[in-house]
Amino acid sequence: MNRLAAAAKAVLERKIAPGLADNEAAIDEVMGNCADLLKRSFLLGGDRRVPGLLVCLDGMADLGTVEAILKELLPFAEGSLKRFPDDSEVEALPNFYLSSASTHTCETVGEAIAAVISGNAVLLFEGYGSGLIANARGWKERNVEEPSTENNLRGPRDGFSESIRTNTALVRRRIRDPMLRFAAMTVGTRTQTSINIAYIGDLVKEGLVDEVKRRLGRIRIDSVLESGYIEELIEDAPLSPFNTAQSTERPDKVASALLEGRVAIFVDNTPHVLIVPTFFWQFMQAPDDYYNRYWVGTFYRFVRYIAFMISLLLPSIYVMLVSFHQEMIPTSLALTIASGREIIPFPVLLEALIMEFAFELMREAGLRMPKPIGQAVSIVGSLIIGQAAVQAGLVSPFMVIVVAMTGISSFAIPGYTSSLAIRLLRFPLLIASGLFGLLGFATMAFALLLHVLSIHSFGEPYLAPASPYRPSDQRDMLLRVPIWMMDLRPEFAQDRERMEGSQMPKAPKEGQR
Amino acid sequence: MSEADAIVRWGKLLLAAGVLLLGSSCVGVRQINELAIVTAVGLDVGKKPNTVRLSAQIIRPADARGQTGAPSGGTGEPIYSVETEGASIFDAIRNLGRFSSRRVYWAHNFLIVMHEDYARQGIQDMVDFFTRNHELRMNTWVAVTPDSPAELISTITGLEVVPGEAVDSLFRSNHVAGLAPGSNMRNLEESFLSVSTEPILAKLMLRPRGISNKKPEEQGSLEQVELGGAAVFKEGKMLGWLTPMESRALLMFREKLASGIETLPCPGDQDRRLTMEFKDARMDVDPGYSKGDIHYRIRVKMDASIVESGCAKSIASIREEAEALLAAQVKKRIERVVERAQREYRSDFLKLGEVFRNSYPVEWRGMSGHWSEVFSEAETKVEVSVRVNSAVLKAEGTGVR
Amino acid sequence: MKKLNITNGMLVAMIVNMIYVKAIGVTQGVLARQIGQDMWIATLLGTLQGIGILYITHLAMRRTPDLDMIALGDRLLGKGFGTVVALLIFLFFLAAIGPVMITFVYHLQDYFLPEAPLSLFIVCALLVGALGCFYGLEVIARLALIGCAFIFLLNVLIVIGSFEEFDIRNLLPVLEQGLPRTLAASLHFDVDCALASMMAALVLPMLKSPQKEGGKVGMLGIATSGLMVIIWSILEGAVLSAEVTSRYTISCMKLARNAHIGEFLQRYEMIMIALYSISALFQVMFCLYGVSVCTARILRLKSIRPVILPCCLMLGTLGYWIVKDHFRAIVYLERYWPWVALPIGFGLPLVMLGLRLLMGRRLKGEAAAQR
Repeated sequence: MNRLAAAAKAVLERKIAPGLADNEAAIDEVMGNCADLLKRSFLLGGDRRVPGLLVCLDGMADLGTVEAILKELLPFAEGSLKRFPDDSEVEALPNFYLSSASTHTCETVGEAIAAVISGNAVLLFEGYGSGLIANARGWKERNVEEPSTENNLRGPRDGFSESIRTNTALVRRRIRDPMLRFAAMTVGTRTQTSINIAYIGDLVKEGLVDEVKRRLGRIRIDSVLESGYIEELIEDAPLSPFNTAQSTERPDKVASALLEGRVAIFVDNTPHVLIVPTFFWQFMQAPDDYYNRYWVGTFYRFVRYIAFMISLLLPSIYVMLVSFHQEMIPTSLALTIASGREIIPFPVLLEALIMEFAFELMREAGLRMPKPIGQAVSIVGSLIIGQAAVQAGLVSPFMVIVVAMTGISSFAIPGYTSSLAIRLLRFPLLIASGLFGLLGFATMAFALLLHVLSIHSFGEPYLAPASPYRPSDQRDMLLRVPIWMMDLRPEFAQDRERMEGSQMPKAPKEGQR
Repeated sequence: MSEADAIVRWGKLLLAAGVLLLGSSCVGVRQINELAIVTAVGLDVGKKPNTVRLSAQIIRPADARGQTGAPSGGTGEPIYSVETEGASIFDAIRNLGRFSSRRVYWAHNFLIVMHEDYARQGIQDMVDFFTRNHELRMNTWVAVTPDSPAELISTITGLEVVPGEAVDSLFRSNHVAGLAPGSNMRNLEESFLSVSTEPILAKLMLRPRGISNKKPEEQGSLEQVELGGAAVFKEGKMLGWLTPMESRALLMFREKLASGIETLPCPGDQDRRLTMEFKDARMDVDPGYSKGDIHYRIRVKMDASIVESGCAKSIASIREEAEALLAAQVKKRIERVVERAQREYRSDFLKLGEVFRNSYPVEWRGMSGHWSEVFSEAETKVEVSVRVNSAVLKAEGTGVR
Repeated sequence: MKKLNITNGMLVAMIVNMIYVKAIGVTQGVLARQIGQDMWIATLLGTLQGIGILYITHLAMRRTPDLDMIALGDRLLGKGFGTVVALLIFLFFLAAIGPVMITFVYHLQDYFLPEAPLSLFIVCALLVGALGCFYGLEVIARLALIGCAFIFLLNVLIVIGSFEEFDIRNLLPVLEQGLPRTLAASLHFDVDCALASMMAALVLPMLKSPQKEGGKVGMLGIATSGLMVIIWSILEGAVLSAEVTSRYTISCMKLARNAHIGEFLQRYEMIMIALYSISALFQVMFCLYGVSVCTARILRLKSIRPVILPCCLMLGTLGYWIVKDHFRAIVYLERYWPWVALPIGFGLPLVMLGLRLLMGRRLKGEAAAQR
């Protein structure tokens, strides 16, 4: 701890002094001559003319609200106080004179500064050993918009924004249950990021909330800028490429997770909310599955599982077949592939790696480019990679198809963050099968499988309910059964009954109407 | 955190193992475009005694497939046919490597065709070689030809670019004509190893069937591959041929042939012709055994329809006679093939031994050693019943009343 | 430490994985060489015997639900006997690496990668085996579930692919060689069941309620594997014929090579092997696990992790030596392995049951004293 920090710490622990000047000096000493620090001195109305000081941060506090507070305190305003209640403490002030929705007092300089930093207005008065914090928070924030990473056709269009209160409210609006709880925590010594842990008291898996609190409480870090920080610090499998905490921008996803007995972690300043425990299959499920009819939901779930297989396995299978096991390719297809590869100078493995890399390159460039250029890059990129490379005889047309299929498939996976894991895992598989054929493929796939089987997310096996097999949870894994059949919550929830059984709708019989 | 340490330690170990594995280089990698894909093989006796002459038809993918969007290596003949000799099949194949710039690759082979002389010397080593190797597929067609195999496998047909593919489709649509057994490596191996059944192979030959577009007046100037007939084997050696019509009867025994056509003279009018197509033919072979004598009762039931009629009378009026005629014809054919199997070749390629073995396992054990002798003494009785029940599109009643 | 828990379904899956891999190919080849087309009957008989032995294993261990067979040995006749039991099981799994590696290596090497060096296969198999052991039994058990799903898929594929060639006549006549010879041949399937019984000896206590359901689950496991395997033995008999089956070391691959769906998909044995390799590697993994557990017990170690690597080396060397020579492999498989597998796999549960019956009172007394 350097000298500056030590001095500031000493000041912060100081009690608020009766002398207004002392307090002002203390604030100045800690915060320096800060550009956005707003100090407004005034004389309190009434006969005694007590000098006062209002401190707030420009931009964090809503100036309109600050002005309203001042208006109530200043003498010329109508209905302002005639006589300061000299025998009472500062706490009494709001009882009589302030119309602010939330106020409380503070005793130390530290508390006062913390309040100022989080956007409140602090009122200090000459001769009183405590300050008054009035809620004046108000800053510019983004509107609730459609989430940009998780789209759907049918279903709500609102997405989380950066403000934690807005976010919790979006969930609260969906679940009007008194049992919905938000537990608050603050993480980050410098950023003082507020974190809310949301759960439904009588559904949540037993001990889960305590475990989440324990893991969050363990964090010692100066800053939390995004929920990704939290995710990496509370994970079960920190070395794994898979993410064991789901992040989402969609309030309906969070609501449904809470209703299944899980816990959501809201972090301020980020629209991404974490959900734990997480299962692998969740990344394959989209909210649309539940909003569309179950036939459609199940079908597209299958499409996504196939997309998952393709994006993970197709390049390795292609490379393995073409460079080791040509006998497995149906003859006419083998001839077509062979004719396309006739003049390609690279071995298949290298060709695949080059193309995969080129694809990732285009994706990354398209993402990072300023939006208007992005489009141009993707068009030029795909033209060059696709047409010209084939024409020049650098890449076989088949490889282009394989890589394109792989890319498209990885975009079809709803959990964007987990599709990143799959993109990464593709490469070890590709290299293993390109070097050792079936043996490499089988060994690597097996090792991967073992790894996935071994990881947990907050006490729940990652691959459940497939393995360990949970029969009653199968209804919402591969298939999406009709709503009237999903009468049970997942096995870990406290209260398993979701709805009364046998609610399959029936048309009334003829004549009974 | 000992747990994390342990994981890191294991990770390092795995990494080290991975690097080691990488160091051991790519094992057995061969790119698909570095292969000489063989689509048909011909086997013949070599010029020197005890040698094998092997001809292979190697495909050139770029030319067989044409322009596929990518620039391909030159335009020329879709196939490349070569011939080698060697002391054994394996030796001959290795000799192929002396001049083939690419690794010869057998997995996509469609056809193995043997010359008659080669087949007469015995197919033991050929069956063994083609089933021992892991690369080879089991549904490669196997046939025998009286013509030169090398010529046969490089004869280009009008419709397909690759001759091997052409013969492959010929075999696949075999049951339409029904004149040759669909013999592939799988059933050849099965009957070759079987104690009771002898193998039988299809016959391929070159016939001047094609009509040249440039010189249409020279009819049949182009030679085409024709599938019809069968080669009979006994104890791994070819004995002789069956005609296409005999092969059809044979197929009823071996492959449950259910349909075919027969052309007969019109009842009561030898000059006109009546063509019938039989369907749903079902054959039952009932073995019997009494005091050392084996006898078979072969019953065939079939439905038939009239597909072409030049007869003067209406079909309805000659229906019974047509049924009888067809039955007699089919009976004659079956008797003929059984006769040839028993008396001429003394080789049980009709799977009669297996039928007997399934019904009389105890008796079978006593005679399995000399089955071909016992078999040739067995009595057979053929019964055919035909029902003509359709005249296809036409309403063949008794005419306008 | 939290008690490891394995669900009943996982144990069934583990037994299926353990038996299936070798039984569909290698064992069927051996059976076909002995009794021809009756191999499915031998398999059936073997399954029944396997069910019996699993029940005996369960009976032996029923009274002491939280002890595995080694601990039971300790309890019955003192520490020394427990070590002997551990040594026997150790020997069993050590010997088992022979057939297990034969199955794994010959499937992949002979049919797919003939040019790759043998050591590569052994190293790869043992690497993932070690990884699995490192993760522990729970992960191994979960893996078995996935393997079981793959086995099911594999069976569906093979039935679809070879249905066209199905010829029931190839299976006739039934019991041509007579029942006694068939019974004798069924011993070869029993050898596979012995693997399951030894596995149960180590794993049964980890069930939720072994005293009530252990026997039922074990028997269900054997019955399921029998069912899965019989599909193959019937198909091999009917499609390939016994004569062809008997010619091949790995006869299931012969069947797989024959299978084709339609005219386009002429060969898809690689898909099957990809599915199959999960179970094959599971077997390697469990052998390694068994050997490691026994070693750890003999050396009185708390964790098996330190012994995994030495055990790997041991198994690797032995496996390499056996697999290197095809002729030696076959002789080992048909002559020596049954002589190890049957006495230990079937004898040990019987001995333990006998001892438990004799010493039953003492056990109860001790249990009461402990309470």
